[in-house]
Amino acid sequence: MSEFLMFLTNGLVMGGINAISALGVSLVVGIMRVINFAHGEMYIFGGYLSYQLAVGAGIPPVLSMLCSVAAVFLGGLAIEKWLIRPTYGDEMYSLIITFILSIILQNAALLIFGPYPVKPPSLVFGATNIFGLFHYGNQRLLSLALAAGIIGAIMYLVRRTWFGKSVRAISQDREMAAMLGVDHLKVNMISFGLGCALAASAGAIIAPIFPVTPSGSGAVSLTAFVVVVLGGMGSLKGCIVGGVILGVLENLGAAYISTDYRHIFGFIILIGVLVLRPWGLFGKRI
Amino acid sequence: MEEKVKPVLEGRDVSRSFGGLMALHRVSFQLFEGEIVGLIGPNGSGKTTLFNAITGVFPPQEGEILLDGKPISRLKPFQICRMGIGRTFQIVRPFLKMTCLENVLVGIVGRDEKGTSREERVEQALSELEFVGLGGQSHRLAGSLTLLQKKMLELARALATRPRVLLLDEVLAGLNPSEILQALDMIEAIRVKRKVTIFWVEHVMGAIMTACQRIIVLDQGRKIAEGPPDEVRSNPRVIEAYLGGADA
Amino acid sequence: MKRAGLAGVFLIAILVPFFLNQYWLHVAIISLFYVMMASSWNLIAGYTGQVSFAHAAFAGVGAYTSGMLALYGGVHPALGIIAGTLLAGVLGLGLGGLCIRMGGIYLSLTTLGFSEILRIIITNEEQWTRGTMGLQIPGVFSVYSKTHYYFLFLAVTLAFLVLMRRLLNSDTGLAFRAVLNDELAASTSGIDTVRVRLMAFTSSSAMAGLAGGLYGHYLMLITPDIPSLGQMFLVLAMAVIGGMGSFAGPIIGAIALEFLSEYIRIYGEYHLLLFGLVALVIARFAPSGMVGLWEKIWRRR
Repeated sequence: MSEFLMFLTNGLVMGGINAISALGVSLVVGIMRVINFAHGEMYIFGGYLSYQLAVGAGIPPVLSMLCSVAAVFLGGLAIEKWLIRPTYGDEMYSLIITFILSIILQNAALLIFGPYPVKPPSLVFGATNIFGLFHYGNQRLLSLALAAGIIGAIMYLVRRTWFGKSVRAISQDREMAAMLGVDHLKVNMISFGLGCALAASAGAIIAPIFPVTPSGSGAVSLTAFVVVVLGGMGSLKGCIVGGVILGVLENLGAAYISTDYRHIFGFIILIGVLVLRPWGLFGKRI
Repeated sequence: MEEKVKPVLEGRDVSRSFGGLMALHRVSFQLFEGEIVGLIGPNGSGKTTLFNAITGVFPPQEGEILLDGKPISRLKPFQICRMGIGRTFQIVRPFLKMTCLENVLVGIVGRDEKGTSREERVEQALSELEFVGLGGQSHRLAGSLTLLQKKMLELARALATRPRVLLLDEVLAGLNPSEILQALDMIEAIRVKRKVTIFWVEHVMGAIMTACQRIIVLDQGRKIAEGPPDEVRSNPRVIEAYLGGADA
Repeated sequence: MKRAGLAGVFLIAILVPFFLNQYWLHVAIISLFYVMMASSWNLIAGYTGQVSFAHAAFAGVGAYTSGMLALYGGVHPALGIIAGTLLAGVLGLGLGGLCIRMGGIYLSLTTLGFSEILRIIITNEEQWTRGTMGLQIPGVFSVYSKTHYYFLFLAVTLAFLVLMRRLLNSDTGLAFRAVLNDELAASTSGIDTVRVRLMAFTSSSAMAGLAGGLYGHYLMLITPDIPSLGQMFLVLAMAVIGGMGSFAGPIIGAIALEFLSEYIRIYGEYHLLLFGLVALVIARFAPSGMVGLWEKIWRRR
């Protein structure tokens, strides 16, 4: 029983990470109608930069994480401005550009960081006894807490700030928002940067537990896409629920059915949702 | 006993909303064969939405559209076109990277008729181009045409689908006065020589008041007036809709 | 002028095995494979505007179907390749039927998912496919000869291109281009846009299956690399750099990039990165690819 609970909690932790990662994708898709195929690479960079700063430059782990996320955020702003903006209105080209970008970044990561997995130092050590039922690693609990914290921060951002209001206006009615004077270009740029930053933070948070490798970026992107489709494009609630469902399913599936086929559950869910209910659990009905 | 003439195109209580905004509210209309009916209204009154509803692009959520008495609301746009409704667009949309000939050929191919050979289709396409005055331009890319020529091309393409009813959406927009006269001649030629019923959305008031036998007026998604141009022109509700700040 | 040019190219193509050594002949054969792949991908992406990521996967279907039939069933490669092509076409029809209606982003994601599912299955079902170690399968000819393979590939590629050309010039091709130019205007002009896109998708996936089947029997060793996203990227880059939406673009892109990639191979790991950078620059600044640039230069004169 305690084993099951452990797998379940693993699923929850991964679920939280999935949710943040998916939020990054959902934001960009909802606002800009662009799928960022380089999402996984941002995640990887988050983990790697965090590692390099902490281990290579001796910067305290918490600061390393923050710096790497900030760096990716800035990178995202630049990418939106120079690469994505010129393709506005043409869905096909933005898909192609982000796809090419992902290949470039993946190979660049391989060359810069090497193919070996790296693991930044943990922030906390030891394990806690959960309700007297099982022991669970503290770093993992911290990751879950951080994920929850970030989700909370995003919810605050969306509900209270001008950015959030603009985002909601645009996702409801693009033309109306333009008429009301919402600055499209600025919102798009920040959204993209934020999307990348969310990916990087997911990577930075999970790296102390599961090491990151450049070849893992594809799986990260695909997982994020599956969660967004499952939860419903443009739905914050959907990302959280979808992320947790996927995290739990993959972990339980890997534990009790087969580890090799772990990632296939995600794709089966993806195709299933796209066929049966394309707007996902909480998305707008098309 | 007199048999009442049936309308060729009819809308009954057509309604359509977009995310809570009522774009069309129970709009009913009838078009009889050979008529040329105008559709006017301030910006945002639902004119293009009505055209989109008729052509199946954004079907009505309530109400019904009938062509020759047959309901067409549930059909897909290409099916509606094949049944005999053609349209032009507010912002002209020819196939820019294709030649004029190819543009019109698409309309012919869209009819999906068996038994015509390639040569016959090209001939038909060329004659449509001749009809709209683009006979010598068949091999030019649509993207290189002037605005008036592009509109004529759109008309040719729509005519190639052999419509019973032609929906014109602000076809005079952006034309100078002499071009407007040319366009008006063309529209009349279409109505008379091709025996097409015309439903025409327009903002150029002078033209539509002269050319149409009957005008329908929409305001904020509802029909507020209908009748001969003189009546409509002096209808207080119509005047108020245009001057009352509705399109600020 | 054009006819003379084409005749010249054809002549060169036939004489190729006589002046290239074995290594470069191999490169030429591989580039013909990519010509088929890039051209057929262009049919859906360049001509009907749907970015599918399942193309390499369909090549994998062709390769593995034909390979396994030959290895385990003793089926002659010619039949095996046909079987692989048909299977790829059927899967394309199914996959297309699922996601064509939704278009754009959804199509790209579904094809991506399909591609990865296929690759995972192939990698994991080791008893049949030998996974990443690769499956050794028989070749088309009982006596191995690169020259024979070259002419086989050349014949199939030419037949391929001729068929595509005729398709694009037909009414169906007209409908393809109408849908690409303006889907809304096409549908209100009577074109069944869903059916058109589905036809393009199905035929293109069958073509990928054919190319994959041939490729597998040439290499005689098939790995999950064939249906991988890395391969998908190469095909995409070739079409983009050569010029999407034009007939010659993918052909030029495929040949140029494949030969170029052999020169870059000296630098080892850099070649994907380099291709990526070139592709990015072209996609960003010259979306009509090399063919588009060439036409612009011609028009200036």
